[in-house]
Amino acid sequence: MEIKKIIPPALILALFLGGWHIGALIYDMAFILPTPFAVAKQFVSDFEIIMIGLGLTFRAAFTGYVIAILIGITVATVMSLNKVLERSLYPYAILLQTVPVVAVAPLIVLWFGFEIKSIIIISIIISLFPIINNTLLGLNSTNKTLVELFQYHKTNSFTNFIKLRFPAAIPNIIAGLKISAGLSVIGAIVGEFIIGSGSMAGGLGVQIIYAQAELETALVMALILTATGLGFAFFITVQTIGWYLMRKWHESEMKGS
Amino acid sequence: MIGISKVSKHFDEVQALAEVNLDIATGEFISIVGPSGCGKSTLLRIIADLVPTDGSVTKPKKGAFVFQDSALLPWRTVQGNVELLMELEHTDNKRAKAAVALRQVGLNGFERSYPHQLSGGMKMRLSLARSLVLDPEYILLDEPLSAVDELTREVLQEELYDMWTRDKFTAILVTHNIAEAVYLSNRVVVMSPRPGKITDIVDIPFNKRTPDIRTKPQFSKVVNDIAGKLRTWK
Repeated sequence: MEIKKIIPPALILALFLGGWHIGALIYDMAFILPTPFAVAKQFVSDFEIIMIGLGLTFRAAFTGYVIAILIGITVATVMSLNKVLERSLYPYAILLQTVPVVAVAPLIVLWFGFEIKSIIIISIIISLFPIINNTLLGLNSTNKTLVELFQYHKTNSFTNFIKLRFPAAIPNIIAGLKISAGLSVIGAIVGEFIIGSGSMAGGLGVQIIYAQAELETALVMALILTATGLGFAFFITVQTIGWYLMRKWHESEMKGS
Repeated sequence: MIGISKVSKHFDEVQALAEVNLDIATGEFISIVGPSGCGKSTLLRIIADLVPTDGSVTKPKKGAFVFQDSALLPWRTVQGNVELLMELEHTDNKRAKAAVALRQVGLNGFERSYPHQLSGGMKMRLSLARSLVLDPEYILLDEPLSAVDELTREVLQEELYDMWTRDKFTAILVTHNIAEAVYLSNRVVVMSPRPGKITDIVDIPFNKRTPDIRTKPQFSKVVNDIAGKLRTWK
């Protein structure tokens, strides 16, 4: 990437960190607003325990994300192949999006226990709708002329799907996966909030609850940044896969157009 | 031959096509002209079995449909696109046939390019090549040249004419462009607006087509004659 492209976002970051630092110095109450340096120091000194938390949260969020992708694409595919099923299922897919996951999370924990299973399920619920919705949108908006071309050659619905509708939907599928990348981490953190733990050595969500109770605000912020980084890493991974699949043919991924 | 008999079409309350009857001889080039909304595209889709009808259509088994906007798969290379219809029709020897077809339309060397890297004219050549490679007995063309610029359009008309004389398929062309219809066809079918029906069938008196025919007075006379028939509907 050229330097020119890095300068604007880097400038925003510098302004943000500078403003934060000055604000923290003026306010002068480290347990409410620590300086960026204090957060960085905390990150280094608690690196090992944060990494344990990252590992646990990653495991739950990643598992939830992958399962949500598999379920989401499958459900959308089934809906796109059968209009009756689409009409029957879609309203409930919307409910999946409108249900306040934070409120349902305690129920999930009640049903599935105080273990990683519950965290994964919460992560799945929160990640699922954007994947279903975008995949369905992609599968249902295939270019009409191309549909006619395949129809003229009397292809079966399997061929239509493999050679036309699925590849045509890839840009939408990737868009859905990008939205869900961050959501899967949010779901895992919410699950960890509810579950809590008998010790400090839980996932990032568990550690945030502990650190907050101890007024270790710098640690809370270091943990938040770590969770943010995790969601960002998911996003970048999907972004890279999308770029690889579409770099040669789709406007969004082609250079100079 | 292609036989169209008692073909009509309603879309809800609107009658798009009144009863249409038309016989097209094997190897004939027919054009259908008419104002927008006269149902000529619908008629072509009925022949293609893309739109249901009450009437009946008889046609040979092997055909191809060429669409207005080339209808290429953007995620496939030129090579992948020229093989597409052979895949759908389970044709053997795809590689070798594709190579011949691409050479015929001057797209050899572009095998690994993607459709977005081609000009409008090249896209249409690719679209024609992937249809001709099926060795079709008839080809249905739905305003195939309306998206290219005027100069390219005339060149493509000449190329299409050469393909027709070489491969001897039956062709039905839907077009807005009367000169194009006259240049390419044995007969030009004139249709009226809603409900669409055939009002005239004009025999085109020229035998061999060369580009200079367009400047001849007889050519202009036939074009103006058909334009006059169309104008009565305004």
